[in-house]
Amino acid sequence: MWVYTFRRLLTIIPTLLVASIIIFSFMHLMPGDPAAVMLGTNATPEQVERLRTQMGLNRPIYIQFLTWIRGAFVGDLGESIFFQSPVMSVIRSRAETSILIAFFSMILILTIGVPVGVISAVKNNTPLDQFSMGFAMLAASIPTFWLGLNLMIIFSVNLGWLPSSGFPSVIESGNLMNLKYLILPCLTLAAPNSALIIRLTRSSMLDVMSEEYVKTARAKGLKESEVVIKHIFRNAIISVVSALGFTFIALLSGTVVTETVFSLPGVGSLVVQSVLRRDYPVIQGVIFVVVILYVLINLLTDLSYGFLDPRITYD
Amino acid sequence: MRKNLTLSLILVLLISLIFSVNLFAQEKGGTLRYAMIDTPPSLDQQVVTSDLATIIAQHIFEGLYTFNSQYAPVPMLAEGSMVKEDGRLVTINLRQEVTFHNGKEMTSEDVVASLKRWGEFGVRGPVLFNYIEAVEANGSYAVDLHFSEPFSAWQSMLAFINGGPVILPSEIMENADERPISPEDYIGTGPYEFTRWDTGRFIQLSRYEDYAARSDQADGYGGERIAYFDELRFIPVSEVGTRINGLRAGDYDYAESMQGDLYEDLKADDRVNVLVNQGAQFGEVFFNQKQGIMTNKKLRQAILAAVDMEPVMQAAHGHPDLWDLNGSIMPEKTIWYSEAAIEKYSRGDAELARKLAEEAGYNGERIRYMATTSYQTMYDSSVVIAQQLSEAGFNIDLQIYDWATLASRRNDPEVWDLFYTWHGFVPDPILYTFLSPTYPGWWDTAKKRLLVNNFTQAMEQEERVEIWSELQEEIYDHVPILKTGDNYTYDIVVPEVKGFGETSLIWPKFWNIWFE
Repeated sequence: MWVYTFRRLLTIIPTLLVASIIIFSFMHLMPGDPAAVMLGTNATPEQVERLRTQMGLNRPIYIQFLTWIRGAFVGDLGESIFFQSPVMSVIRSRAETSILIAFFSMILILTIGVPVGVISAVKNNTPLDQFSMGFAMLAASIPTFWLGLNLMIIFSVNLGWLPSSGFPSVIESGNLMNLKYLILPCLTLAAPNSALIIRLTRSSMLDVMSEEYVKTARAKGLKESEVVIKHIFRNAIISVVSALGFTFIALLSGTVVTETVFSLPGVGSLVVQSVLRRDYPVIQGVIFVVVILYVLINLLTDLSYGFLDPRITYD
Repeated sequence: MRKNLTLSLILVLLISLIFSVNLFAQEKGGTLRYAMIDTPPSLDQQVVTSDLATIIAQHIFEGLYTFNSQYAPVPMLAEGSMVKEDGRLVTINLRQEVTFHNGKEMTSEDVVASLKRWGEFGVRGPVLFNYIEAVEANGSYAVDLHFSEPFSAWQSMLAFINGGPVILPSEIMENADERPISPEDYIGTGPYEFTRWDTGRFIQLSRYEDYAARSDQADGYGGERIAYFDELRFIPVSEVGTRINGLRAGDYDYAESMQGDLYEDLKADDRVNVLVNQGAQFGEVFFNQKQGIMTNKKLRQAILAAVDMEPVMQAAHGHPDLWDLNGSIMPEKTIWYSEAAIEKYSRGDAELARKLAEEAGYNGERIRYMATTSYQTMYDSSVVIAQQLSEAGFNIDLQIYDWATLASRRNDPEVWDLFYTWHGFVPDPILYTFLSPTYPGWWDTAKKRLLVNNFTQAMEQEERVEIWSELQEEIYDHVPILKTGDNYTYDIVVPEVKGFGETSLIWPKFWNIWFE
């Protein structure tokens, strides 16, 4: 397993290199000029040109790339054009929100998605199953934007129980009560993702339930709960675990709509704003970090299969 | 007699009560939370023209002059000025005992360094510094501006803080170039000092306790400035629905840039007060006069004749309170308002347009019209204009880009014929970007140069107004731009915030404003 893990970790290097070249090329193929965006609509072309030179944007693309990649591999992702501070510190300032949102949303997704999916499969074709599937369908089809704004109107404007938007740092203030700012965003994000996990858990469970060894287990006179947990759930969970890995990555970097609705300083909205501002170093930096996370979480997901199913080996 | 005495006593008591209530009402304290549409790129006013930056930075930095409620320039850090040698020498006397936020007293050395940096690298600096030969300290509390030729708009140029000459300590300004200065150098003389920029969360200012306020009565941006709030916190909230809900939920006190279609609802909502901003903006279509089909003046006139601005304004801004069909380039309530040639504005005459296009030799060639989706009102206006032009027989190729792409492409005269943008309120026409021969559109004719030259050299206000009228006539004849109409943005504020009245100025300011 260690050899396998080491081999997988080594693949990060070529993956990052290829990803970097693609990201860098696409960024610079995109029309638009960060200097013009920064100086505003009233700047003359001469002023824009002067700022471009100052920022080093007039240097040949390959030199800009080599400078960036040299820094990136030693942890220096350059300086944000817009924020005028190191990209790593810009990402760090947004990471807290994204990591906490992803973490708490995952807890909600797991606690709703997996049990409801299991019950739905066990009670297949009963009113309870139909109700669960109806709920999943509804949660999957409600637009995140609409759900977020309506949760805000109910719980913040009308009831006044929760703050409407923003997220003051927990780390800086040490105030755990600030986590209440994440309740509505996490509920908003959990709804569609729970629906996916409910349906996936249910269908995987149903597949396994028709296997011969399940019938054998029942014929042996095992308790139904033992059959469901040990023989069905454990075999069905592998596909759910892979989906959870992807969901976690998506929650870390792709929650733009929710971040916008709740005005959260997360990584998703940072990428979108940086694209609009043509803040190349930030876009490149975030994608670089996300690619690393993607490879690492995929590796962890793959390794977890071995623990869930002893038949899987890594030799 | 006894009755009179009792009445007098009651009157005195009533007056005291009113005064005490008033004093109580204007107590210092609290944090004003301002929900703004985005984070500004920097607060360096000299090199950035973003309105978001100005809304915040005007509390930190001050210029030598500012504008009163009539948009006339009045002294701020200056005490006064003397114009000598037929306008070729201006001596500006500075106020004394004004301190920067680092405790250092402001002197002529700081002013000279700030003006020089702005003149060389500032976005609007070169407009004034094309006429300035030298800036020199004249003792510790006076500065001399030596002009190569008279330049009448110097006070307005020094007063306009957006992309303008704010005063910072010389040790910062002497090392600054065209790149925005960093936050640790945000040291001004204003009533609030910069305290924190928490990326993506907020920008925070705190009351500057040693602020040297002017003693003259507050008027517009001029006069006495009192900082009642302990702190101002500017929070980026990009979604308009969130800004409204956040204000209603008590998470914000002030929310900017509401949508036109929400105006009626918000006016009827007693949880919020609506504030219409006085500074009129306008949309403008630029014509490429350097290259391509739009170098043909007759064709530009045909396009001017074709467009009816009423549906354009209606589609983009909604409620009639929020826009005016005003053909004068400058808004109605300013001294610059002119009716010269405005009969050519918003005619919507497709027949005349076809006739003029035919005279121009137009044969259905493709007209490349760049617009953006980054700002909804700009997109809506562009679509209605394109539709009207198509109906009048023009072959319009509407090209939609995000703002960054459009701002980059417009510098290339080969790729466009028309593009849509907007212009913020300016208190003096000399600040209009379309007057610059290097601004995309490239309006640079002999007649225009002569008129602009006369305009900048005329020292009497009446003469300047007259020449501006001639320039407006030339705009409607030469057609370098197409003005859509004046529009007003509006914001909402919780009823507990007092001191605004019915409207706010160009940029909402939070001195002389308090919590009830």
